[in-house]
Amino acid sequence: MSGFSAIFKRELRSLWVTPLAWVLLVTFLLLQGGIFYAITVHLSRMDQAALEAGPIQAYFGQQSLLMTFSLILLCPGLTMRSLAEERRSGSIEALLSAPVRSSSIVLGKYLGILLTYALIWLPTLLYVALLRETGSISPLTLVVNYGGVLLLGASYLAIGVFMSSLARSQLIALLLTTFALFGFFILGIGQYAFEQGLLQTLSEYLSPVTMLEETAKGLIDTRRVVLHASIITWALFVSARMVESWRTA
Amino acid sequence: MIEAIDLEKSFGPVKAVRGVSFKVVRGEAVGFLGPNGAGKTTTFRMLAGTIGPTAGKVRLAGMELGEDPIAAKRALGYMAENAPLYPELTGSEYLLYRAELRGIERRHRAAAVEKAAEQARATSMIGTRIAHLSKGFRQRMALADALLGDPPILLLDEPTSGLDPNQVSDVRKLILELAKDHAVILSTHILSEVAATCSRAIVIHHGRKVGEGTLAELEAKRNEGRVQMVLVGGREKTLSILASYATTAPEIVSEASGVLTLRFPVRDPADLASIVAQCVHADLKVLEAAPLRAALDEVFSELTKEGGPK
Repeated sequence: MSGFSAIFKRELRSLWVTPLAWVLLVTFLLLQGGIFYAITVHLSRMDQAALEAGPIQAYFGQQSLLMTFSLILLCPGLTMRSLAEERRSGSIEALLSAPVRSSSIVLGKYLGILLTYALIWLPTLLYVALLRETGSISPLTLVVNYGGVLLLGASYLAIGVFMSSLARSQLIALLLTTFALFGFFILGIGQYAFEQGLLQTLSEYLSPVTMLEETAKGLIDTRRVVLHASIITWALFVSARMVESWRTA
Repeated sequence: MIEAIDLEKSFGPVKAVRGVSFKVVRGEAVGFLGPNGAGKTTTFRMLAGTIGPTAGKVRLAGMELGEDPIAAKRALGYMAENAPLYPELTGSEYLLYRAELRGIERRHRAAAVEKAAEQARATSMIGTRIAHLSKGFRQRMALADALLGDPPILLLDEPTSGLDPNQVSDVRKLILELAKDHAVILSTHILSEVAATCSRAIVIHHGRKVGEGTLAELEAKRNEGRVQMVLVGGREKTLSILASYATTAPEIVSEASGVLTLRFPVRDPADLASIVAQCVHADLKVLEAAPLRAALDEVFSELTKEGGPK
């Protein structure tokens, strides 16, 4: 993968040396802090016997709607610059003149953003440390919960990179990604609107909220893993084709 | 070393480049000239592989760009117009990133960056964030980028744009130095730059190549067989002598205080000696007599005047 490592490192560096990642980190943690606070207050008012799930499951699952919205806010912000800014500033020309494949450009940028996304989630492990004081936490549940937000985020980020390849402006890329992710969310809501049948099943299958509710319970639905892996593969493949088309157009 | 073969590029209905072919070999610097919108940058982008040609081929160091772009691009150092860089990185971070991107091995990267920065006279600002650099230093950083790893082919699009006169002089010296063992193509509007640094020039206009050759060839072509004489003496006497030599009526450029300046075409440049001898014999004082050479800007103007191929 010629040039992949250089692009990965540059993307990572550019995200963290500019205020962007920090602003997103602070906003995201404020939101997550709010969610965590609401959960702990809620749980502290309930009888132990009335608790349906542990605090971690509650953090990821009971507030899955808010969690989905925070991802819809975070992911487009992380991906908006990736390709759109290269084209706007003209630096794409130097990049395309280098001996590097289009797939390396897209994959390097994507994985740089994905690692940033994972790093933004990292401080929430502090909540886990705090909750451990109140009782035991299943490591498996923890892994499945974090795996769920990582998979959903990875899918959203791939869509974001693709949208960034369509636009020359960061703002347009941001809006396109937000609309696309919000569209997914609305499709998921369809499970409550449609009567039982194919459409309802499809909506449920696409719903990020339902997915987070499931992973909060420690459930892994392989259909969802396939869905998001397919979205990631498709979005990155099409993005690489877009970059290649700039070279050959 | 670098070869463009019948390059064509269309953007929708607009034909930006129409069948441009040329070859530049190691050991020469070639000026790529043309007015705004002539197709210079589009041709450069095709040579650098950042856009694909509609038709035609590019060969870099013997490798066809369309067939093996990765290998072909390793032979190329490209400085794009306006030097778009990453403002959030420092000069050294940017150059190290570019060195890695260009496939320079880790153990050679720092040395390659140091050498390129030194050649481009960018060392003093290498630790500064690019956002804080002046346009001149950004240009130098982009030039250092093109020089990384010492590629045998250099494509430089407006390399002295935004530089102060001392920096321009430094870059010109560097190009002259590089031209000894590289194939250098230089796109510029500044004709004196071509005259100072290039051994050959290619002129394009409306997407077509309208002139190519050494500067002397281009200058001579513009005024093939024309001579200029400056003399003191009678106008009629002069014209009667010239009548048997000039192929068309002489053009009187100026006549002031008895000093007459004429231009005229002759069948054979050697005739000039006979003309001078006859003038002297007729008591005319010849102050100057020489084959006429046009300045490069006149050649450029002639080749790219409106009414050319569209």
